[in-house]
Formats: sequence, C-alpha cells, structure tokens
Amino acid sequence: MRFFISRLVGGVASIFGASVLGFIFLRLLPANPTRLLLGPLASPAAVRALRLQMGLNRSVPVQYWDYISQFFRGSWGYSYIYGRTVRELIASRLPASLELELCAFAIALFFTLLLALLTTYRPHRFLSGLTRGLALFGQSTPVFWLALVSLVVFVSWLKILPGPNGQLSAGITPPPVTTGMVLIDSLLAGDLTAFWNACEHLVLPAVVLSLPSFGFLVRLLRANLLDVAHEPFLLVARGRGLSRWKTYSRHALPNAALPTLTASGLLLAQMLAGSVFVETIFNWPGVGALVVNSVSNEDYSVVQAFVLLSACAYVVLNVLIDLLSGVLDPRVRRRAA
Amino acid sequence: MSALQPSNPVLVVASLQTEFRIARGKVQAVRDVSFTLEQGERLGIVGESGCGKSAMALSIMGLIEPPGFIVAGSVKLVGQELVGLPDRRLRKIRGREISLIYQDASAALDPVRSIGAHLLEAIRNHDATIGRAAARRRAVELLRDVEVPNAERRLNDYPHQYSGGMRQRVVIACALAHEPTVVIADEPTTALDVTTQAQVLTLLGRLVEERRTAVVLITHNLGIVAEFCDTVRVMYAGRFVEQASTETLFTTPRHPYTSALLGSVPRVKQLLTGPLPAIGGSPPDLASVGPGCAFAPRCLRSRGREICQTTAPAAPLRTDGHIVECHFADEDDAILADETQ
Repeated sequence: MRFFISRLVGGVASIFGASVLGFIFLRLLPANPTRLLLGPLASPAAVRALRLQMGLNRSVPVQYWDYISQFFRGSWGYSYIYGRTVRELIASRLPASLELELCAFAIALFFTLLLALLTTYRPHRFLSGLTRGLALFGQSTPVFWLALVSLVVFVSWLKILPGPNGQLSAGITPPPVTTGMVLIDSLLAGDLTAFWNACEHLVLPAVVLSLPSFGFLVRLLRANLLDVAHEPFLLVARGRGLSRWKTYSRHALPNAALPTLTASGLLLAQMLAGSVFVETIFNWPGVGALVVNSVSNEDYSVVQAFVLLSACAYVVLNVLIDLLSGVLDPRVRRRAA
Repeated sequence: MSALQPSNPVLVVASLQTEFRIARGKVQAVRDVSFTLEQGERLGIVGESGCGKSAMALSIMGLIEPPGFIVAGSVKLVGQELVGLPDRRLRKIRGREISLIYQDASAALDPVRSIGAHLLEAIRNHDATIGRAAARRRAVELLRDVEVPNAERRLNDYPHQYSGGMRQRVVIACALAHEPTVVIADEPTTALDVTTQAQVLTLLGRLVEERRTAVVLITHNLGIVAEFCDTVRVMYAGRFVEQASTETLFTTPRHPYTSALLGSVPRVKQLLTGPLPAIGGSPPDLASVGPGCAFAPRCLRSRGREICQTTAPAAPLRTDGHIVECHFADEDDAILADETQ
C-alpha cells in the first residue's frame, strides 16, 4: 500500500512538472497569440481587448493556474483551423491512433517474446543472427525512411497492399462508429470485408511503427535471458526435477522480463511521438497527423493540449508499469517503501 | 560402516569421466572417478576450488550441459543407470531419489518467488495429485522440520527477507521434500558464518540420520569433513588421490596432497608466529594433463624422481584401508614439510 501511494504521488508530481515545462515553453514562443488569431491588420484596440479576454494581462502564475484548471475541467481550447474544440478534435482522432499504436506495440511484444525465447531456449545460430540483424536494423533505421521504403516495396512494386489512404479503401463503407477503432467496429458490425480491408491498411504502418521498439526490446530481453541463464537457482530448480521448459518459463523468464517490462512501458509512450511520422506518411487519421498539421498552421491550442496529454499518458503508463513490476518483483516493493 | 566392503550400495559411481569442450581444448574436469555410497553413509569429498568437485556433483545429477559432457563411466542409483538416461526420465529421479543442496543459498533461490512457492514447487513436481491445501500443509511441515521459526507465516516471505542460514535451511527443506535416498551437498555451508555453519550442519546431520539418507558432502573445509563424514575422498585435478575412513585419513594421511591440505589448515599458534601455511604452486590446467602424477609439480616427495613425471600412479587397496594414488605412499611427509617451513 505504501508502495502504491508513493508511486502515485510521484506520478502526480511528474505531471505537474511536465505541465509547468509545457506552459513555460509556450510562453517562450516568439509568436503573439492575439496577432495569430486576429491577423496582422487588426487594430491595436482589438488586440488589447483579446489580450484581456484571454487573460494574457495577468501574472504568469495566475495564467498557469487558469490553464491547468481549465485543462483538468476538460476545456482544452479551440482550434481555429478545424473550427472545433480541441477536446472534440482529439477525441475524434484518438481511436485511430490508439488502434495503430496498440497494434504496433502488440506486434513488437509478440516478436520480442517469440524471437528472444527461440534464440535463448536452445542456441540457434541462424535465428540468433537473424534476430540481432533485425534488431539492429529496427533500432538504427529512421521510421520515416522505413515507412517510405515499405510503401515503395509493398504498394508500388509488389502491389499486395493498399496505398497510404487512411484506415479503409475508398470503396469500402466504414462500419458504424462504436469504439472509433475500425478493426473493432467492423468486427462488431460483422462486416468482414471492412475488417479485412482495415487489416490490410493497418499492417504496414503498424509493422513500421513497431520495428524500433522491437529492436530495443528484443535486445534487452535476450541479454537478460542470457544473463539469467547462468543463475544457480535455475540449476537448483532443475535439481528439484523441473523440466527445462518449466525452469525456463517459471524462473528464467520472470526474472529476465522485469527490465523488458519497464522498457516496454516507456516505448509504448514513445510510440505516441513516433506515430507522428507514420501517421503523416500513411495518411492515418490519428492524433499524430493532427499535431503535425496544427504545428504547421500555428494552431497552438491543439499542440499545447497534445503536449500535456502525452505527458499524462507517459506518466500514467510509467506508474502502471512501476506498480506491475512491484507486483512481479518483491524486491522492488521493498526498495520503494 | 566401511565403504570398503559394500553391502547395500545406494549409489555406485564407476570410472566417471566428464569433460568440457571449450575453444582452447578439452578440460577434463572429472577423470575416472569411482566410489560407492552405502545407505545412510556420509561421504566427504575434499579438494581445492576448481578440482572438479562440482562438475562431479552435476555429472551424478545428470545436470551437465554442453559444453560439458559425460564421456565415460556409469552412475547407478539404487541399481538404475543414470548416465545416458533421457532427461524426461531423469526428471522423475532428480528431487525425488537424489537431490542437490547448492553451496550458496542466496543464489539457489529464485528472488522473485516466495519461499512457499519454492517448497510447493518441490512438493508438487513429484506429486501431481496432492491438493493445494495439502501441499501447503506439507510445506509448513518441511519448514518446521528445518527449524524455521513461525513457519506458517514465513512461507509467504521472499528469499531476501530471510537470513543466509534460514535460506540454506529452505534449500535443505526443498532437497529433502521427497525423502531422497541420496543428497549431494555441494559446499552447503561455505556462504555462512561459522556459528550458522555449525547449526546448519547439525540440522542436516539430524535430518539425514532420521531418514537414513546417504550424503555426498562436497567441501574444501576439512573441519566440516572431520565433524560430519564417515569416509573421505580427497580430490585433486579431477581424480580421487586418497580414500579412507575419516579417522584414518586425519590420523595417517598417505598422499602428499592430503598431508599438505591438513598442514594448511590455519592454527592459532601458527598465525601468531608466521605466514599462513599454503601449498606452493597451483593446480594443473585440466585442459592439458600430462602422463605423470598430476600433483608432481607441487609435490615435495617427487623432487628428482623420474617416475612421478612419467607414470600415473596406480591405487591399490592397502592393508590399512587406504587407497592412495602415490608412488611413495609409505613415505612420511613430516620431515619434508618441516624443511620447508
């Protein structure tokens, strides 16, 4: 319980820190928000009136308080480009992003586990080499380059996947929106054609987005598994009559998986940032593409909300991971308490 | 009980050879080792670090893994041959008929699993039919047996919440969960301080006595051997160089290595007067063992003697119950040893 509370307090403090930083950075921007809104031809009186209306004449701490209290009350400002509140805008874009990121994360985790297990349970020279190569490739290749090359190869040359036109092809009727994630919505509607089409659209961006995380995670898990393989408690467990597999799955894996678990939480949070490129290149109607658009159009209320939201997501994920590793490793609990 | 007239051997190891195939060649860790163990017998195996003690223990358990291989020999446990048995058969034997007590209890327990989980695993692995509640009762019983206070409550603790001595008790409890015929204790007390050592040894002695369990106690601590074992084998460079009952070995050591080992036990009087006694030189490289006696380069007796360099000594059974691998087993080292001091 003490462990739980200490983690929670730490999380709240981090969000506070992130919000302060985000706030300060926005103050430091050279752009004058009133001029941005009213345009260069507006009268000084109009500018002054808007300054007053926006509260920009008040002291910085008061402005911060306004901003943060508004944010947590759910009023995140208004997008002048899209003509909708930022909250509506992000809510409409978030499911597509989540769909892409969760799929990418699942792919990264699945292949990490599969290849790390296959290459460490029994030594396998070819698979080990392949895994190391893939990991290096995934980690060292920029995502935007990967995205473009994958489009060239699978769409232009091989012509086995649809082009970068969002979540569904033009001729496909979108399923009724329940969760906002096309994959799930089409299944709920029983529309297999749409589901398959959605899968075809998802596979490339998801795989591209998953590669850097996969590269990092598989190296980490493999290193930890190889490390833990020398631990005497595995030998002793075998001496108790456990099979190789049971020793591996019950003792080696849980011990080796802890650092991977922590890292995977961080990577999931980082995918939010990585998806900005991938969403833009694949015309994915997610938050990342929205933010890129907003930055180039100086639609700062969207950017500001995105920054704080991703900080929140980052912190929440980290707290969750911390708690989970506390459940899995009793030593973590003691160190924190 | 004498190991020299086998009556009811529970473990028969014959000409066991284990090697590790590494890049620079074959390391012969166990070179032609044979011994028998009677029911309830306590055999001590003594030797320096790296002499092949642990490799021998693992070979007997069938736990040698590549690059290690058992090259030749046989291990018979209550009549059943273990060498060459597939792992799925060996699994049924390990932990039930023959168990391992590992040297460092803090490394022998999985840090992310509770003590109870270790015991339950040991119990249920060989008894699939036992229910959760019954297994738990048995775990508490085992923990009480090894004199862990508040057994019921401490079942839920994790290894890091136990002291070193208590951890070793848990390891012993796991090893004895199915009342095995043979227990191999690989340096069971090295990681403990002296008073805890004595407690754990006494406990182990009582438990194996009650169960008539035979023990192979591997150690480099001669004091422990003197206290605990019926018979002793002295291991050097992967071979047994001297075998005798504990009493005989300690009163009349025949092999120069044994004498040197006994001579290098620190005594308070010596500590006050001079440097710690030690055996000069270092053990041979087991990747390139020559034709002669492996101890010859460090041996005081072999100086200037051709035969020690060229021929490995045979080990006939002597009238005093000794088996000694030395060409000059009858010589007394006392004079030589005095000269060097």
